[in-house]
Amino acid sequence: MKLDIIIAGVGGQGNLLASVALANYSMKKGLEVLGTETIGSAQRGGSVVSHMRISDKKIHSPLVPNGRADILIGFEPIEAVRNIHFLNPKGKFIINNYPVPTIFCNMGMEEYPSEEEILGALKARCSQGYVIGASEKAKDMGTLMMTNVIMLGALAGIEPFFEKQELERVIAELLPKKVLEQNLMAYEEGYKMVANSEANAVSA
Amino acid sequence: MQKRKFIMGDDAMAMGAIEAGVKVVTGYPGTPATEILEVIAKERPDIYTEWSCNEMVATEVAMGSSLANVRTLAVMKHNGTNVATDMIMHFAFTGVKGAYVLVSADDPGANSSQNEEDTRILLHTYGHLPILDPSSPAEAKEMMKAAFDLSEETSSAYILRPVMRVCHARSVIEEGPSTAPDREPSFENDRSRFVMSAVSEPKAGGKMRPLWRHELLNAKQAEYKEIAEKSPFNWIEKGEGHTGLVGCGIGYTYAKEALESLDLSLPILKLGTLPLPPKKVREFLNQVDRVIVFEEIEPVVEKMLKQICYDEKLQVEVLGREFFLPAEGELNTQIVLEALDKLAVAELPEDLKPFDRPKMPIRIRTQCVGCSHRSLLNAMKEVTRKHKGIVTGDIGCHDAGSFPPIELQSTIYCMGASIPMAAGLAKSGLGRPVVAMIGDSTFFHMGLPGLVSASYNRANITVVIGDNGTTAMTGFQPHAGSGINVMEQDVPKISIEEVVKAVGASVRKVNPYNIAETKKALEEAVTEEGVSVIIATAPCYLRNSKTDNLFFTPRAVEVNPERCNGCKICINDFGCPSLRYKDEKVTIDKATCVMCGMCADVCKRGAIV
Ligand SMILES: Cc1ncc(C[n+]2csc(CCOP(=O)(O)OP(=O)(O)O)c2C)c(N)n1
Repeated sequence: MKLDIIIAGVGGQGNLLASVALANYSMKKGLEVLGTETIGSAQRGGSVVSHMRISDKKIHSPLVPNGRADILIGFEPIEAVRNIHFLNPKGKFIINNYPVPTIFCNMGMEEYPSEEEILGALKARCSQGYVIGASEKAKDMGTLMMTNVIMLGALAGIEPFFEKQELERVIAELLPKKVLEQNLMAYEEGYKMVANSEANAVSA
Repeated sequence: MQKRKFIMGDDAMAMGAIEAGVKVVTGYPGTPATEILEVIAKERPDIYTEWSCNEMVATEVAMGSSLANVRTLAVMKHNGTNVATDMIMHFAFTGVKGAYVLVSADDPGANSSQNEEDTRILLHTYGHLPILDPSSPAEAKEMMKAAFDLSEETSSAYILRPVMRVCHARSVIEEGPSTAPDREPSFENDRSRFVMSAVSEPKAGGKMRPLWRHELLNAKQAEYKEIAEKSPFNWIEKGEGHTGLVGCGIGYTYAKEALESLDLSLPILKLGTLPLPPKKVREFLNQVDRVIVFEEIEPVVEKMLKQICYDEKLQVEVLGREFFLPAEGELNTQIVLEALDKLAVAELPEDLKPFDRPKMPIRIRTQCVGCSHRSLLNAMKEVTRKHKGIVTGDIGCHDAGSFPPIELQSTIYCMGASIPMAAGLAKSGLGRPVVAMIGDSTFFHMGLPGLVSASYNRANITVVIGDNGTTAMTGFQPHAGSGINVMEQDVPKISIEEVVKAVGASVRKVNPYNIAETKKALEEAVTEEGVSVIIATAPCYLRNSKTDNLFFTPRAVEVNPERCNGCKICINDFGCPSLRYKDEKVTIDKATCVMCGMCADVCKRGAIV
């Protein structure tokens, strides 16, 4: 068994918690885990990519090779497309449809692509995936900070390797008590989003 | 501590140093090495740890402790190794007493650095010091432990050169047994070693001492090679065919990964030491017609192999980063696969073929929402624009002020360069005001000598010190002006103001969240003679957002769409990421706005209130 996962987002979106949760979950299953973050142009609002590799055999490099990721988790749409080359055409993606505008887009020097363009770019590589409103949901529930937990809930909904209850327990161990309850509700919401029509399931 | 933990390579190296019985750890923050020292400080308060003012000082403090026969560790990133080079070139000649391990962490691809470089050249090719180059966090931990023992075995410093993908890789690491020696600190004079001076050395029949020490260093190489020959970090893996792969450090993992994904078995030489193990290398070269060397970053081992082939008249083609692989940037599995494809050793499966991804808008980093540097940079932009001033920059969170949209600083070089470069511009006869922008940690690191020099030489410059109380860029390490040290002891703050006064420069203190006050101080400073320093003090917002320690009063501001004419001054000269531009109007993204209110002060039309 092997599962290679890429998490792409913007500094401050909670990539790290997500990758530590997936690693802890896999370790509990007795699997090998190796991962790394490529903190592109540092933390302050730059691109952040986490590589997470899970296997029952020895894993050599911490970087997922091009075309070998089984799952691409996009916390931000253009960051997902930026890392689409990692995704295997037979893999799947799950994308948060909440754009974080770039400085050049704000200045009017570049244009942020439309939802259709983004979906088109993703579909050109891989035919299976989901687009969900994780950040919108997180905002409705009180804070954008819960985007990552909603995405993990959705991941449990689309990838059978991650058992819902067990992943929830692992996440709970990582969160401060104060925000635990709210986050677990968010996790549940994420799970439901891919099960219900709230998600834009893509298949070609 | 758990026995098995999922941790970063840096934590694994810290664990190795602890198990080896390190007693003194020094360093200066720098990605990707920072966490090594932080983890030791956190886990083991009984071990002495310090953030020194800079890497030169760190290597010197560690040398002092080594002379007291305790195990010492100095930790830095590659730029820091450059800073420490003078000391390193000296202890290469003298050797050490208690084990001395120096971690020089490289950042291939410069993911988090202002340049990329291969410090193996500086430390080994130039400094003749032995190096261990780990391929994984687990091996990095073992190498750390081995380095302490080898350092004492050879009486010389040992270098651990991890790259970003080892430091910041996470994997499961196991605790191991202690290898700490049981001994008390002691000191013995040995002036023939520890006094580096141009003096005749009686022990060497009156030869000049530096020459004699150089001979001893050269003679040491044979000892290092013997160690490399027996080292568990070098090995040969059997395979088929006449093309062999040489994997140095992390390069080994990409080579393995590529071969496994192609279901290929080629002979592999895994290398983790410098100098190389000569017999093992020869044994490998004798099995193949051609080798490809995968190493970060420069063709160091590749050139050594070419040299061996030449010396021994071996007909082996040696390919690598000199002419065949990319000469810059980070290796990965794709590069190995493409190399094998190019040599027709293997054909790429469809899913591993390069994929042309669509172009997406570029994303660059900036200051955080609420950061005090942003309003400071805005004030500086306004004043320098008016006076046709030039701003020299330094490294730190404020350096993003040199990128769009603000584009204020005209230069960024190594730490501390802003002040001397400003002095140079001022002394050139250019006749324009020059302003240096530097952070507080950088000020103590290397800014101070530049300031002393500028003041002594009567340079006509303004120096702005962004005093946020911490080393923010690398993750909030305390410094001499923070009032606390890495061991979490309260210590007296060294006052930047008093230091600057003692240097003889004029001082103005401002709150950078007060743009009007800051502009006024800047106006005065750029029009006065001599060195004028402005200390802009406000705590780092990212670090203090959840505390009362803020230097602004939060205010909820709104854009009045009636008044906003879409001039974009707030976006182009200020550039807060919470400001959005749509349909020729600015809006504020409430989900990310932290209510610093600075955009209201920046707007010239009173459209943000
Ligand atoms: C010689 C050297 N050592 C370390 C670093 C890593 N580094 C980059 S910026 C920085 C310091 C930033 O602190 P400060 O000057 O206080 O500015 P701030 O980020 O807090 O605004 C450090 C340590 C480096 N680039 N060069």
